[in-house]
Amino acid sequence: MTPVEQTLLTALVPIITELDVSRARQEATAIAAAHGFSKPAAYRMATAISELGNNIVFHAGEPGEIRLRVLRADGRLGLEAVAEDRGRGIDDVALAMLDGYSTGGGLGCGLPGCRRLVDEFEISSAPGKGACVKVRLWI
Amino acid sequence: MKSLAEVLRDNRAAVLASWRANLTASVDGLVGSEETIVNLYERLLDGFSRSLTNSLNDLSFGPISAYMAVLSSERARDGFSPSATSRLLAAFKAAVEPVLRAEYASDVDRWQQELRKVGEIVDQLSVLTFEAYMKAREEVIARQSHAMLEISTPALRIWEDIILMPLIGVIDTSRAQHVMEQLLLAISANEARVAILDVTGVPIIDTRVALHLTKVVQAARMLGAEIVVTGISPEAAQTLVRLDVDLSSIRTRGSLRAGFSEALRVLKRRVGTID
Repeated sequence: MTPVEQTLLTALVPIITELDVSRARQEATAIAAAHGFSKPAAYRMATAISELGNNIVFHAGEPGEIRLRVLRADGRLGLEAVAEDRGRGIDDVALAMLDGYSTGGGLGCGLPGCRRLVDEFEISSAPGKGACVKVRLWI
Repeated sequence: MKSLAEVLRDNRAAVLASWRANLTASVDGLVGSEETIVNLYERLLDGFSRSLTNSLNDLSFGPISAYMAVLSSERARDGFSPSATSRLLAAFKAAVEPVLRAEYASDVDRWQQELRKVGEIVDQLSVLTFEAYMKAREEVIARQSHAMLEISTPALRIWEDIILMPLIGVIDTSRAQHVMEQLLLAISANEARVAILDVTGVPIIDTRVALHLTKVVQAARMLGAEIVVTGISPEAAQTLVRLDVDLSSIRTRGSLRAGFSEALRVLKRRVGTID
């Protein structure tokens, strides 16, 4: 991940139900618009957040949160979202990142698709230890 | 020395008068009618005269608890804030305090003890007031969201064999379930052969929404109807490609107009001018 020089703004949305995912998404869209992100970029970020939020709601089994951050590095402006939960975690992260692999009856392109939506992507998880996914999009 | 209940009974008129005065002095005089105050007083008196503990769980406080819960939820529906309702109780406490001080002037310990008893019960009733208020509001919200679900998925018959369902808002699990039910119902009721699902008003189309759409398409096919999904924005299209969601099994069109011509093409029909 690119070293961050400055954090301009942070926001936190607790994720328990699908409604909270919508809230996180709306928050991110508003922040992206306010900081000059293009409409397609904002839509991509919103979709990534929707994927990560739904992962918490449907797979973690425990509440989680999404933290949003506007940051500056290398003279560029970026938007970061960190989705973290203390839920059941992912058994095999490498497998979960494969297209078409799903444990919950989904399409199996949530996580790998999410990686393709953003510029930077980082995931860490262990069974029973929850999951933490960090994504960033630069202008 | 008199018990707390006896003090309340003997000073009924005085306490009620000062309670009323406290209420008019507060910001909103609307917090309690005369009838409400008298009802509350009777039940509080009854509770204090029979109770053995300082807990609202004591059976003798049953009537006041029940009355307060009903009062609070009624007021929630009428749009009062819960603090207005709990101010009613605070005003009671303020009215009782001087009476107790005068009565137990010779026995400080006893005074403290009775004062604490009133305080604890009033506090617990306030908590109950807020809980009842929350519960009533939640019921209102649940009713409203149910009503919203009803109006948010209209199925319109726009042509012979063609129905249109415009979707507005977030498609979550319950919404998706509702869309599925309403659409299948409309298809079978109208014997529709094409159903246009317009998603212009859906803020985000992620893998979950895509999954719901695929399921709707499969179910509709079983009823012999084709689904045409319209109104996918350019941003959504780019995002879906990156997500690598396979929507090739679904007929999609950019605009509702294009979707309608696709529907006519499926039906091998044409709209022509009258010569």
